[in-house]
Amino acid sequence: MRIVIAEDDALLREGLALVLRGEGFDVAAAVDGPEPFAAAVDEHRPDVAVVDVRMPPTHTDEGIRAAVAARRAHPGLAVLVLSAYVEQSFATDLLADGAKRVGYLLKERVGRVDTFVAALRRVAGGGTAIDPEVVAQLFAQRRADDPLERLSPREREVLAVMAEGLGNNAIAKRLYISDNAVHKHIRSIFSKLDLTPDDETDRRVAAVLRYLEGTATT
Amino acid sequence: MSRTARTRVWTVLRDALVATKWLAAGLGTGLAALAACALVLGVAALSLVGVGLLLIRPALLAVRGLADLERRRLARIGHDTPSPYAELPHAPLEVLRALRDDPANRRDLAWLPLHGLYGSILASLALQAPVNILREGSFPLWWTAVPPVESNALNGFVHIGSWTGAWLVAASAPLWAALWLFVVPRLVTPQALPGIRLLPPHPDIDLSERVARLTATRAAALDAHAVELRRIERALHDGAQNRLVGVAVLVGAARQALHRDPAQADAILERVQTSAEDALAELRTVARSILPPVLENRGLTGALSALAADSPVPCRTTVDVAPRCPASVESTAYFAVAEALTNAAKHSRATAIEVTVRRAADRLRVTITDNGRGGAAETGSGLVGIRRRVDAHDGTTTITSPTGGPTTIDLELPCGS
Repeated sequence: MRIVIAEDDALLREGLALVLRGEGFDVAAAVDGPEPFAAAVDEHRPDVAVVDVRMPPTHTDEGIRAAVAARRAHPGLAVLVLSAYVEQSFATDLLADGAKRVGYLLKERVGRVDTFVAALRRVAGGGTAIDPEVVAQLFAQRRADDPLERLSPREREVLAVMAEGLGNNAIAKRLYISDNAVHKHIRSIFSKLDLTPDDETDRRVAAVLRYLEGTATT
Repeated sequence: MSRTARTRVWTVLRDALVATKWLAAGLGTGLAALAACALVLGVAALSLVGVGLLLIRPALLAVRGLADLERRRLARIGHDTPSPYAELPHAPLEVLRALRDDPANRRDLAWLPLHGLYGSILASLALQAPVNILREGSFPLWWTAVPPVESNALNGFVHIGSWTGAWLVAASAPLWAALWLFVVPRLVTPQALPGIRLLPPHPDIDLSERVARLTATRAAALDAHAVELRRIERALHDGAQNRLVGVAVLVGAARQALHRDPAQADAILERVQTSAEDALAELRTVARSILPPVLENRGLTGALSALAADSPVPCRTTVDVAPRCPASVESTAYFAVAEALTNAAKHSRATAIEVTVRRAADRLRVTITDNGRGGAAETGSGLVGIRRRVDAHDGTTTITSPTGGPTTIDLELPCGS
């Protein structure tokens, strides 16, 4: 799997490349700003781009904008954005064009190599990887009249883990419940959020989006 | 003529021109004040028969407009005079009550005749000087051309009927020039005296003034606080946190390497350690920038001599602060001096800096002087930062930095008791 990294901090850039190469990924380029990033994506056509949010010149949201632009220029490019802290509006910007092949994680998750690599593979494979911290923040800001309020606490937990991008099996393991129970909860979530039976993956993504959009409009 | 002599001549000439301009403006407001006197008397007379009552409000507003015009002139000649008015009510009876209760209105009415008579007369006398340089100087050119009644000098006091007289008059022009250059500039303040005395807010109003000022400085304090918090947030996120994230990532890489290539793991751990040490150093820097421990332990005296020792430009400190001031005042003084030293080292090309800190009753006075090239502009973040910090404490900042130096920064901070 070919990867391009954009991170302005030299130490982190090298650390990331080190970790990913160690796992057998092909790190085609590791650059330090939005412009070299765009050039590297054009040149190497990576499967996944790993992008830092704060980059020069203003150190605010250059990474998000670079990631969104790269996804527009190369449909199908998977993007995993890394951030030093959680900013929910960044997640919303990033997911505006759809939640497939998108990830938004706290930087320190890279240290847990196995989980990080799993998230990376999930994003490359068309899934989503949202940091649990982002998900927790979104829940903290729910409004009373939100359709998500109809969900039971357990269902919300399931949706939160689903938003991270985990599959049914992984959800069951994380929450210590049976696969069957997960299945039941998810069906209930879909019906409470008025998501009609369609493609299973699309509905999962739609549920996550509904969840993120809810906060975007508050 | 040497360069400095030329500069001096130019300064004298410029002062005279500027003084003439403000005296002319003063004559303008003076004559307007005379007219306003007539208006006020007229309205007062009409009020006795009733109809004038309706005219009191517009008349007062006109007087206020004129007084504000004069206040702007006073501010330009170096007497900052804030406008003291409360909103004027609309109902005629209420206006009368305001006239009785608001001292600003009465002071305006007292100012009108004083400025109208004394101010106008003094201004027109002063303006005779520049006019007479031209009139008397050119007297021989035109005295024969005008009717004999008008061929006179000294504003008509002396009749001139001969060429000898005419040349004598012309010879008086240098005297007028001397008067204009050396006396007229000294008349600007005396001419404005009625306004300087009567147009500022009445002492009783001072309290509400002060409340307004405190409200403003309180907002500035909150602002400075927010800026400070943003700075700390930035420093933590971009500094220490980044280093710690580096630690987390590299530890991940090291554990990964441990299985495959233990030798590489050691090299990575080496970098983990450096990164952790960097994080600690950054945290120390941030903590020190919030409240320097040296200030806590050694007081302003020790903290400032530590600053002076670190200064790239040789710096001497004289600190006499007993008893100690509140911590927030000390830290404001400390950061202001730190900022001033950095500024001086960066821009002034100074070779020596002198810092004096003195406590006089409940004021802390800080003076920072360098022997650099001066011309410090209050646009850089350094000086603005100093002023903001000091304003937040209801203190004052005076910066004098003429081109060529020296630069002096004076701070006064109230420090309770």
